[in-house]
Amino acid sequence: MTNAGATAQAIAPRLKLSTQYGLLGALLIAPTVLIFCAVIVYPLVSAIYLSLFSIYTPTLKGSWVGLDNYVALLASGEFWNAFWVNVVWTVGTLVLQVVLGVALALLLHQNIVFRSLARSLILFPYFMSTVVAVLVWRWVFNDLYGILNHAMMWMGLMSVPLDWIGSMPNAMISVILVGAWKYFPFVVISVLARLQTIPDHLYEAATMDGAGWWGRFTDITLPQLREVLFIVILLRAIWDFKEFDLIYLLTGGGPVTATQTLPLLVYKHAFALNEMGGASAVAVLMMLFMLGFMLLYFRYGRATES
Amino acid sequence: MTKVTFERVHKAFGAFVALEELDLAIRSGEFVSLLGPSGCGKTTTLRMLAGLEQPTRGTISVGDRVVNELPPAERDLAMVFQSYALYPHMTVAQNIEYPLRKRGVARAVRREQVLRAAAQLQLEALLDRKPRQLSGGQQQRVALGRALVRNPAAFLLDEPLSNLDAKLRAHMRAELIELHQRIGKTMIYVTHDQLEAMTMSDRIAVLDQGRLQQFDTPLEIYNRPVSLFVAGFIGTPAMNLVKGTLKADGNRLVFDAGGLSLELPPALVRRDVLREGGIAVVLGVRPEDVLLATDGERATVKVVEPTGHESIVFFDLMDHTVVGRVGPDVRLAAGEPVGLTLNAAKLHVFAAEDGRRLNADLQPPATQAAPSLVA
Amino acid sequence: MRRFGWSRILFNLLAWAIVFVVSFPLLWTIVTSLKPQTELFLIPPSLLPGEVTFEHYAKLLLETRFLAYFSNSVVVSVATTVLVVAVAVLGAHSLVRFAYPGRERLAQLVLFTYLLPSVVLIIPLYLLLVRMGIANTLFSLVVAYTTFALPFAVWLLRSFMAGIPQDLEAAAMVDGASRMGAFFDVILPQALPGIISTAVFTFILAWNEYLFALVLVNQDSSRTLTTGVITMLVTSFHIEWSMLMAASVMMSVPVIVVFAFLQKHLTRGFGAGAVKG
Repeated sequence: MTNAGATAQAIAPRLKLSTQYGLLGALLIAPTVLIFCAVIVYPLVSAIYLSLFSIYTPTLKGSWVGLDNYVALLASGEFWNAFWVNVVWTVGTLVLQVVLGVALALLLHQNIVFRSLARSLILFPYFMSTVVAVLVWRWVFNDLYGILNHAMMWMGLMSVPLDWIGSMPNAMISVILVGAWKYFPFVVISVLARLQTIPDHLYEAATMDGAGWWGRFTDITLPQLREVLFIVILLRAIWDFKEFDLIYLLTGGGPVTATQTLPLLVYKHAFALNEMGGASAVAVLMMLFMLGFMLLYFRYGRATES
Repeated sequence: MTKVTFERVHKAFGAFVALEELDLAIRSGEFVSLLGPSGCGKTTTLRMLAGLEQPTRGTISVGDRVVNELPPAERDLAMVFQSYALYPHMTVAQNIEYPLRKRGVARAVRREQVLRAAAQLQLEALLDRKPRQLSGGQQQRVALGRALVRNPAAFLLDEPLSNLDAKLRAHMRAELIELHQRIGKTMIYVTHDQLEAMTMSDRIAVLDQGRLQQFDTPLEIYNRPVSLFVAGFIGTPAMNLVKGTLKADGNRLVFDAGGLSLELPPALVRRDVLREGGIAVVLGVRPEDVLLATDGERATVKVVEPTGHESIVFFDLMDHTVVGRVGPDVRLAAGEPVGLTLNAAKLHVFAAEDGRRLNADLQPPATQAAPSLVA
Repeated sequence: MRRFGWSRILFNLLAWAIVFVVSFPLLWTIVTSLKPQTELFLIPPSLLPGEVTFEHYAKLLLETRFLAYFSNSVVVSVATTVLVVAVAVLGAHSLVRFAYPGRERLAQLVLFTYLLPSVVLIIPLYLLLVRMGIANTLFSLVVAYTTFALPFAVWLLRSFMAGIPQDLEAAAMVDGASRMGAFFDVILPQALPGIISTAVFTFILAWNEYLFALVLVNQDSSRTLTTGVITMLVTSFHIEWSMLMAASVMMSVPVIVVFAFLQKHLTRGFGAGAVKG
């Protein structure tokens, strides 16, 4: 980088100061831009291009088919099934994440003993590998030796062990549950950070005005959290919608296609059905669905950030 | 010794004009304040001089050198920021030493100069501390030390005292004046506090909405403000300003405002501005020129604010609120009827339309002491 | 006062009960990994191991390719982190402090790519890496991980660096520094906590990555922990639960270490910008 500085200095006498600064700024962003073009923009554009071909994965040989991939997809039951599965998974896990996240943020905001240990334990699932999270839950869910079935039978909630992963609607419930468990800490973190900035005197004033704890929650806490919750819900909706690892590892999309979301469908088309063009078409359509949320985040997320 | 010159310097951020065609010639060794409300362009002016912003057009010179296209490092100026901008990860000594290090001064010399600057500002005991361990006043001194240490062509100070409490501010003001007298360097001082500007400056440049209003000595600005803005901005309590009509009636000059009618000295305003049927003006009078007089206009006392050495009194004069200051021995009570006259030698007249000064101002401002107040 | 004391104790009990339920799967993993194989399949399961054993850990470390996968993961994650953070620090500095045409568009592009799903990029990236002849290498993973780590790092660092007072850079320049000099002398030291947080998050993202590792590498010598452990211990017919749980614990060790030592930095990171998930 000393080179960059030196270069800017060397051409100094020729150029206006503001031009020099502009060039230096461009030079600093250049590596980022180059990498972006190579590994993100180029693949993104070629994904759209590839979706117009039929490509056989093992040989990577392809032929132009125009919009046929899209036509076939939009007419196929599997695609729309994946879309609705994706919506159910996203809405289900998102609602749980937000409810759990807000509740636990409120709890961890209180003065409990060993609070920082409690916070670490709660936040940890978010930072652990999805692979580990899923393995752990598969062991908990295990139909024969899993602790969940035994605990529920011991409590008298059921009499025979349940198949948590291999049957419906259990598989969807399990996926949603594990998703909520893995990702609700994100909501906790964001809400907790916001809670810490609500001034105490607001609560004191409300208490003096006769508000009970519920009144204080609905009149002060919730309105203060509105903005952060809006952003968190948007972000999590985007991230949950494109989740692959968790579902793929937990159910593999099964039983049959009951938990097969769009990202799993992309993978299946590309590497199981060996049809990369079709897979790209699924990916492009999926991105179009997500674009709405992204634009929302663009418009409101950045406004609230600054 | 360095003069600093702005020639038709213009700065726009997009459509917003921050500074309009500024012409300003600061003499070598002068202490000049750039004074104005926030957003008036004073900080932009200073930052352009420092090289932190580029003017849209115009020429800025330090000494005989045009500095427009020089990076800040090569302008040989020192700057004290409102936030102090001390480097948080460096000790006090390292902070003060930094400009010397950047100039390649030898280690031993650096050490000696840091110690000397520290001694001047009584910072010796704090040299190994980090900025966050210092009080606001101490941080302020370190910022000054960092500027002092390298003997620059001129000092730029951007509201350096505004983050201090009132007492410390008064103290630092005196120290800065003393410092300027001792080193005799050109100092350019940005402030929104007219008291600071009045007490410290050789000359004050008053800015408003990106335009230079007046550039003159403090007394001249106080006594002969060129515009309504300057008149209202300088002085506490602020000058009384009453809107009304000014009419020439033969040899007499009459000011009418609601129920209030005053006869003014005939030579007060320039004859050429007067129109048939009168012109809309704003009459200004400083609180110290509102005088108690038994035979004056009838007024009522509304509020009295004693400060100890004087009292600020709000009068009701024909439904106009007029502020005056009276001596500590004058006892007035709210509701009390009094008589008021205005010091005819010190009246200010401004055009209501554009705020420019209309006084003839042929004679120099009255030099005799203000007549003592009569109860 | 007494009533107050009791309600506090009850509240604490309730709070910790909830914390216990949420973290139970983690505790259960540790417990399971310490049980002898024979105790694993007891019905009903024993809550605490009757006998604590480290045999699964020993077996994993000594008799399997676990350590090879582990070192692959370390190499890929460290390389990704170093590359991405170095590039992102310069990029973020440019986005925050410089003015040039297209800067706002670039910032938007970064945000867009930050939200972009990996599955959209994976097929073209796969084709690209195959064509370049670097598929199945650790380097191909570094390239692929850059696609999500770089936007993330630029975005996070941008919000960190926007919080550094403008005046510091200005003061350094007036004091005699060039723009790059001010960057190295003043901005970089101030950004250090943010850089550390970003580096830690980037490392964790790379360490935990699964999809690219699954698609781009199918050669055992280049497998990372996430894919390696699964191929090694999970087959259609048999799952090595004891070893899986031991592997899960060991895979989480770097994350736990980072978590424990840098908790203060991490919570600051949350404040500064959203965390990718």
